[in-house]
Amino acid sequence: MSTPTLPPPAPPAVLMSGITKRFPGVLANDDVSFEIRPGEVHALLGENGAGKSTLVNVLIGLYRPDAGTVQLDGTRVELSSPGDAIAHGIGMVHQHFRLVPTFTVTENIILGRQGPLKLRDAEERIRALGEQFGLAVDPTAKVWQLSVGEQQRVEILKTLERDAKILILDEPTAVLTPQEAHALFDTLRSMVAGGRSVVFISHKLDEVMAVSDRVTVLRDGRNVGTVETAATSQRDLARMMVGRDVVFSADDVEDRPAIDHDRVVLRTVDLHADDARGRRALRGVDLEVHAGEIVAVCGVAGNGQRELAEVICGTRRRLKGQVLIDGRPTVGTDPRELIALGVAHIPEDRLHTGLSPSASVEHNLVLKSYRHAPASSGPFLNHRYIRRNAGELIERFDIKTPGPQTPTRLLSGGNVQKVLLAREMTGTPILLVAASPTRGLDVGAIEVVRGLLLDAARRGLGVLLITEDLEEGIALSDRIVVMYEGQVAGVVPRGAADVIEIGLLMGGKA
Amino acid sequence: MNANLFVVIAVSAIYYGTPVLFAGLGEVLTERSGVLNLGVEGMMLLGAVSASWCSARVGGPGWLVLALSVLLGMAAGALGALIHAFAVITLRVNQTVSGLALTILAGAAGFSSYLANVWELKNPVRHQFGKLDVLGLKDAPVLGPLLFNQTLLTYLSWVLVAACSWYLFRTRAGLHLRAVGESPQTADAMGINVVRTRYVHTLIGGAFAGIGGVCFSLSIVPTWQDGMTAGRGWIAIALVIFGFWRPDLTMVGAYLFGAFASLSLTLQARGVKVAPQLLDSLPYVMTIVVLVMVSGGWAKRRLGAPAALGIPYEREER
Amino acid sequence: MIRLERRADLPRWLNWAIPIGSILAALVAGSVLILASGNSPFSTYSRIIDRAFVSSGAFSATLIAATPLLFTGLAASAAFKMGVFNIGGQGQYVMGSISASAVGLAWGESLGKGVIPLMIMAAIVAGAAWAGIAGALRAYLSTNEIITSLMLNYIAANLGSWLIFNSRSYWRLLTGSGLMFPQGKRLPETSDWPLLGLGSVSVPFGFLVGMVFAAGTYVLYRHTRFGFEVEIIGDSPAAASYAGMRTRRKVLAVMAISGALAGVGGASDVGDFRHILDPKGLGQSGYGYTGIVIAALARLNPIAVIVVAVFMGGLDNAGRALQGPGFPAGLVGTLQGLVLFFALGGEILARYRIRRAHHRIAGPVASALAPGTDSPGGGRP
Repeated sequence: MSTPTLPPPAPPAVLMSGITKRFPGVLANDDVSFEIRPGEVHALLGENGAGKSTLVNVLIGLYRPDAGTVQLDGTRVELSSPGDAIAHGIGMVHQHFRLVPTFTVTENIILGRQGPLKLRDAEERIRALGEQFGLAVDPTAKVWQLSVGEQQRVEILKTLERDAKILILDEPTAVLTPQEAHALFDTLRSMVAGGRSVVFISHKLDEVMAVSDRVTVLRDGRNVGTVETAATSQRDLARMMVGRDVVFSADDVEDRPAIDHDRVVLRTVDLHADDARGRRALRGVDLEVHAGEIVAVCGVAGNGQRELAEVICGTRRRLKGQVLIDGRPTVGTDPRELIALGVAHIPEDRLHTGLSPSASVEHNLVLKSYRHAPASSGPFLNHRYIRRNAGELIERFDIKTPGPQTPTRLLSGGNVQKVLLAREMTGTPILLVAASPTRGLDVGAIEVVRGLLLDAARRGLGVLLITEDLEEGIALSDRIVVMYEGQVAGVVPRGAADVIEIGLLMGGKA
Repeated sequence: MNANLFVVIAVSAIYYGTPVLFAGLGEVLTERSGVLNLGVEGMMLLGAVSASWCSARVGGPGWLVLALSVLLGMAAGALGALIHAFAVITLRVNQTVSGLALTILAGAAGFSSYLANVWELKNPVRHQFGKLDVLGLKDAPVLGPLLFNQTLLTYLSWVLVAACSWYLFRTRAGLHLRAVGESPQTADAMGINVVRTRYVHTLIGGAFAGIGGVCFSLSIVPTWQDGMTAGRGWIAIALVIFGFWRPDLTMVGAYLFGAFASLSLTLQARGVKVAPQLLDSLPYVMTIVVLVMVSGGWAKRRLGAPAALGIPYEREER
Repeated sequence: MIRLERRADLPRWLNWAIPIGSILAALVAGSVLILASGNSPFSTYSRIIDRAFVSSGAFSATLIAATPLLFTGLAASAAFKMGVFNIGGQGQYVMGSISASAVGLAWGESLGKGVIPLMIMAAIVAGAAWAGIAGALRAYLSTNEIITSLMLNYIAANLGSWLIFNSRSYWRLLTGSGLMFPQGKRLPETSDWPLLGLGSVSVPFGFLVGMVFAAGTYVLYRHTRFGFEVEIIGDSPAAASYAGMRTRRKVLAVMAISGALAGVGGASDVGDFRHILDPKGLGQSGYGYTGIVIAALARLNPIAVIVVAVFMGGLDNAGRALQGPGFPAGLVGTLQGLVLFFALGGEILARYRIRRAHHRIAGPVASALAPGTDSPGGGRP
């Protein structure tokens, strides 16, 4: 792969050369060079852990590279703090928004600027700016009262208010419906038309094709190549990104698990629940999962999927409705009840909820079984059993760890997930609730985890797979349940899955 | 209650409330930046002993010596705070433990007592802050003793309450300070120097606690005693919560505390028998009650507890 | 500017090197202070060591001084292990001593030595209950336990002082000199806790009790389901409730255990040493606060708490014995504070590597002068 041969018409807006950044045990960026032209949307494509975030964090002054230089408009600059980057016209919209929830929109936008504080003037300015770019939000509203989409607008307004010439967006569509995403793309196009540059970080090929002028692909911390979007295809980009042809797809699944239609391992009836902030998150959810069946729950983040998983597993109180496990009604106020009924749960925040990060691997492996023999007898722990159990599971699930006593947080993401799966699959579960089980993993680990989910179904478990990755849902599941605003917006059976239709359901448009 | 009794109580409320007001104001600023400093007691004692030394040993006109004493007290308090700041901001030591360690290091049986011994501070200080007669109005009814017959330190505290309120809620620096306490990640991304903001406000907090100590050694108890602040540093920490992290309400809390602290003496002098311990305990009970009331996410958001209070900020972690 | 980098692993030797290194560093820093005051650090330190551990009767006195610290240190470590910051050890200690002295006064004569276990039980109940207030508020109303337990210290102190100075309570001596100077009633001598001779050293009974409690705490936290739950809850409450642990009950239980340990310290205070309820002396001692320091120095390990308590008790004992000309009061407290700060710093050293962060690593100078050479970060693997 080579960089384009034509010389750029003007000095590049950004030229990063030879960027190297190490973290303990990880070479996050290895001699990466990256160029952004004025007036282009430049996609930065790569799997999780490919080094995209590290590279842009260098550009916004958050990380200092161990080697390498940054030039803006042909002039070398030092970006030793976010303030420097902002002063040089670089603005970033992080995936996790950088907003102070207790402050107003205006206070958030003017944060970090100098001079006397004139909130009234700033409010007017922000209102005007919002109208100009079609990014309407109330400047006096407190940020915690805004929806996720509105918060993203605040983030973009923040960069515009500082007159950023270079706008970096980190996976901006993760929180948007496909329709909202297209509106965002229009805004971005109008911004580059005015001479700004946009860096668009993503791992979704179709989006990259739709919005960008050029694409730079990172893999394992290296720049694999920069190509003109018009001169490439999704297939080529995928190959560059993954380093080989194979991408997991539905066709790869041979001997799909057999579904036992007579056995309903999970049935929810009219579920209602609030989210952590006390807002209604579930408004009457009915669904069924049969033994041996994989049901994917898709939707834009924040439409109740997370709460659904928590209610089923007893970690969130339901206000109304029923959860039946294998036909048996549950009380649903105590996770122990569901554990005893055979509900395995891979929570969204696997390292801090599914596992105790500083506790050892061996302790995490008995996190749910420590109460009974053989892990304990009477009030006392059986250390010998705990050690032996860890040895067995580490071998069976091929968990890469220095030892059973290593704190779990020191393991790589894929191995953390294996620890969790190993524990959840021991015993005799009948239902597996998995929330975003592959998010943030590298390609190899994703395949392992997907394989384990299929294995679970083959063993006769019902699997409820909650995922924001539509492709994953389509590839793995027998049925897709789309959630929108706490309700089931539609159910699409396997084979009839149509991305556009699902997208409309996800946006509540059907 | 007749006006006379009210005035007596109010005057002593101000008298006993002033040192905790200073220390509480300082702690408000420190906590607003996200740093919890439980070393207030130690910093107050450092301020007290330094001012005591200055007043006893430094020659020159009284006003100059007093001014120097206050400055020295502030510097000593800030120095104590610097230890805490280095430990918790740079080294990210647990803030509770570090603050307690500071109190032990500098406190009643620690460095302040050591200094007093080495400096041989045995006699009453030579200069102290007396009550002024502003505009000759000290004998005016009710308002005279309250507003026109206070020590310079009390007037200074009033100025500081106003200044801190203005600073926190009306200036850009105050906005940045609050952002650092609420969400250091956001503040950092917006180009605000989180580390510097926290250092600066921890040091200011120490300096204010130092003045609180000066109130003791140069006004309330003008002869050095080990541990002369008698636990008021802890009251200051409680005041911050009681005052919802706001300077104005902290002042109300400080004077309420002062009133309770003096009430039993006042009442006793008038033949009313109340166990002083009961009244002394009231501020603590009230603090617990307030704390219970502000517990829970909703109330915290509304009432101002900085969301990042007590949490070290670490930028470069994966 | 200094930056810290997280270590992936923790070398074993640091477990020992940190406490010892921090004590040495504190002694060096302390010697600067001693020099500044015109004394010789060497002779000052050798006097401290002599009066703390060497000279005749010194170690016995040190054990006496260490006993209360042992209990409050255990109390703090029991709570901090789960991330529950009980800094109310002082108040729980006072409550323990109030209740133990009541039991001693009431049944000391009739029960003889049999009253000792009763005193301990009473102190456990009182300490646990007092800590339970803060514990329940934290568990069920999520009220910050740091401040509530602290406030309860002052309320307990006021209660003690009211019993002796402003009431005609059961604890107060209302005859003889007690009429002139408010003071507590002496407990019957039968309720005095025994001193056990061990060669030339006499060991207070309370110290032995403390060692038993230390061993018990160790087993509880290391080998039981309860300890397992404490570990998980302390590390990640979300993971704990996900696994079905009753986190609220555990918060309350841990707080109560912590308070009970501090409370027994209060019983030992009455039984071993003071034999009266002495609110003023209790207030000045500050045992509860020093206990937190001890727990931190012992890295929350109950067995290590015994060693650290003896060390700190030795300093206290020497400080009290030597106080006078040429040995300023406050030196010992200063040294204790220094040891703690250096230990806290050393703890970080264990968890992180320290890097000097150079502002211009990526700048023109660094890259122009030294292409290819390692950046000044230094100690990376």
